[in-house]
Amino acid sequence: MISSFPPGLIMMIGALLIPFLPHIIRQIYMMVLILVSAYALTLGFGIHSKIDVMDIEFIIFQSDSLTLPFAIIFHIAAILNVIYGAHEKHWNQHVAIMSYSGAAIAAVHAGDLFTLFIWWEATAFTSVFLILASKTERSYKSAFRYILIQVGSGMFLLAGAILLMSENGSAEFRNFDINSLYGQLIFIAFGIKAAFPLLNGWLQDSYPEASEIGTVALSTFTTKLAIFCFAKSFAGTEILIIIGAIMTFYPIFFAVIENDLRRVLTYSLNNQLGFMIVAIGIGTELAINGAVAHAFAHILYKGLLFMGMGAVLYRVGTCKASELGGLFKFMPITAICTIIGAISISAFPLFSGFVAKSLIMSALGKEGLVFVYFMLLFASAGVLHHSGIKIPFFAFFAHESGIKTKEAPLNMIIAMIMASTLCIFIGVFPSYFYQILPYQIQYQPYDFSHVVGQLQLLTFAAFAFICLWHFKIYPPELNSTVLNSDWIYRKMIPGVLLPLLNLINNINKKIEQLIVFMFMYIRKFFANTMIKNKVFDREVGQDTLIVVQLFIIILIFIFVWKIYL
Amino acid sequence: MKYLIEKFGKINTSVLFLCIIFLILELIGHRHGETSIEDVLFFPAFFGYVSCIVIFKIGVSLRSFLMKDEDYYDK
Repeated sequence: MISSFPPGLIMMIGALLIPFLPHIIRQIYMMVLILVSAYALTLGFGIHSKIDVMDIEFIIFQSDSLTLPFAIIFHIAAILNVIYGAHEKHWNQHVAIMSYSGAAIAAVHAGDLFTLFIWWEATAFTSVFLILASKTERSYKSAFRYILIQVGSGMFLLAGAILLMSENGSAEFRNFDINSLYGQLIFIAFGIKAAFPLLNGWLQDSYPEASEIGTVALSTFTTKLAIFCFAKSFAGTEILIIIGAIMTFYPIFFAVIENDLRRVLTYSLNNQLGFMIVAIGIGTELAINGAVAHAFAHILYKGLLFMGMGAVLYRVGTCKASELGGLFKFMPITAICTIIGAISISAFPLFSGFVAKSLIMSALGKEGLVFVYFMLLFASAGVLHHSGIKIPFFAFFAHESGIKTKEAPLNMIIAMIMASTLCIFIGVFPSYFYQILPYQIQYQPYDFSHVVGQLQLLTFAAFAFICLWHFKIYPPELNSTVLNSDWIYRKMIPGVLLPLLNLINNINKKIEQLIVFMFMYIRKFFANTMIKNKVFDREVGQDTLIVVQLFIIILIFIFVWKIYL
Repeated sequence: MKYLIEKFGKINTSVLFLCIIFLILELIGHRHGETSIEDVLFFPAFFGYVSCIVIFKIGVSLRSFLMKDEDYYDK
């Protein structure tokens, strides 16, 4: 029975029972659900479950070397999320997280696009509750925009799937041609979820509005599901190299000026997705391994950073750099774990980011993509600036904010320590990590050149930040809104459309007035001329009619005579 | 040393010393990069320092037209 169940589905169904369980039993129950779901990963590669509905074959459980690493990390992340959110007594977020994780895991195992579409939309409808959980007006509005965009992405996927089905008779989830219409529709669907440039506004808009638990879960699944889909369907598509390079590059500047530290992390998330997209665009075995390794490592260290900031938000009530500072003495464990996350994302040797990012950089070097290589190297220095230094520095050090608080709850600390341990373990023992990647390759990240080069890059970038701060060149963080691509649909389109609608409305009113005036005039004419002169009265009607008819006959006669004679 | 720590702080001085150590390491061993440009002496150090400054400069210049009031979207 369990063997035919796709991983993740049991978590979705099981989530329905969560509201009826007492708190402690609920936490154990959720752990059991995740472990039962993970059991299906031991079944090996192949198609394990299909359903035939109306002559359409739904492959609901299919696994291969690409699904395995994503399934493993999604299960690990689900466990970390359960532990991190254990202090939350109400059931609503637990249901959302369990069903959201389940939907993402099930999506990874989909063997056709219709099954993928169902789970794709399920991730949207379950995750939106994590944004709503903040219970602020901003979060309600943000959640509305989020669900519109996510469902919109699903519509592109569905359209692509239907076109593919009509052309090929099958909607198998496989490698697609970007030059076909269905390929382009599917590409856009994945691109929206992967937060491509100009399609990324939803990410920075919604994630920082979610609850402290919700943001950790959100940072794990949606975007990485899109990365998985790209790796499966568009590996080696060259346009991805350009898109990915842009993604690594431009969010850095936004992250540098952003004040909300959770929003800084979403820009950083966007930048990290760029590294993965570039690797998928290259498409070689080394590069695909790099993309998958980076996604795996990224879920852990980005989750850890969001956990750290979530703990700060939970205790202090804000994540704004301008209002924080000096929290190290009150939250030392949170601070240390956040620093480990920051070191990992910056790709310092002996941490997970280094062993993952090295694969991508080596793949770029091997393919001779020098310009993109240097864009990513520049982005690496940027990552250190905004995630490696800015996040821990402004939250736990910088200036004395005067805030007095206490350490994060025990469950949060446990989750953070677990994530930190995994970040270090992967960094110290990369060979174990590389074994779960899709392709078996021989790669050694720890050689003299890699290590010394990376250490020079990072320490000198850090030294530059220190100089800027020490000599008071670095400007103070300010409470502000940084414009992003969501400005297009939040300000620009309403700004253009509203005056246009007003203009159309005014023209409509003028036309209405003109028509009314014409009718009034005609009415007046009839009233004054025809009725007043008793034209339609019975007594004189017949004579008038005879005169009019005669006049018309004469007119027709003249007309015909003029034309034909 | 004492002067540096007093003027610059413990952590900052430590980072400075790490920078020097990693430069010396390059002189001891043979470092090569993924591209030929990287083989230039101390290239990663130079690139890291300059990148960070450039990022900061561009970021600060973007403040003037990307930064709006906190309630910008609520107006």
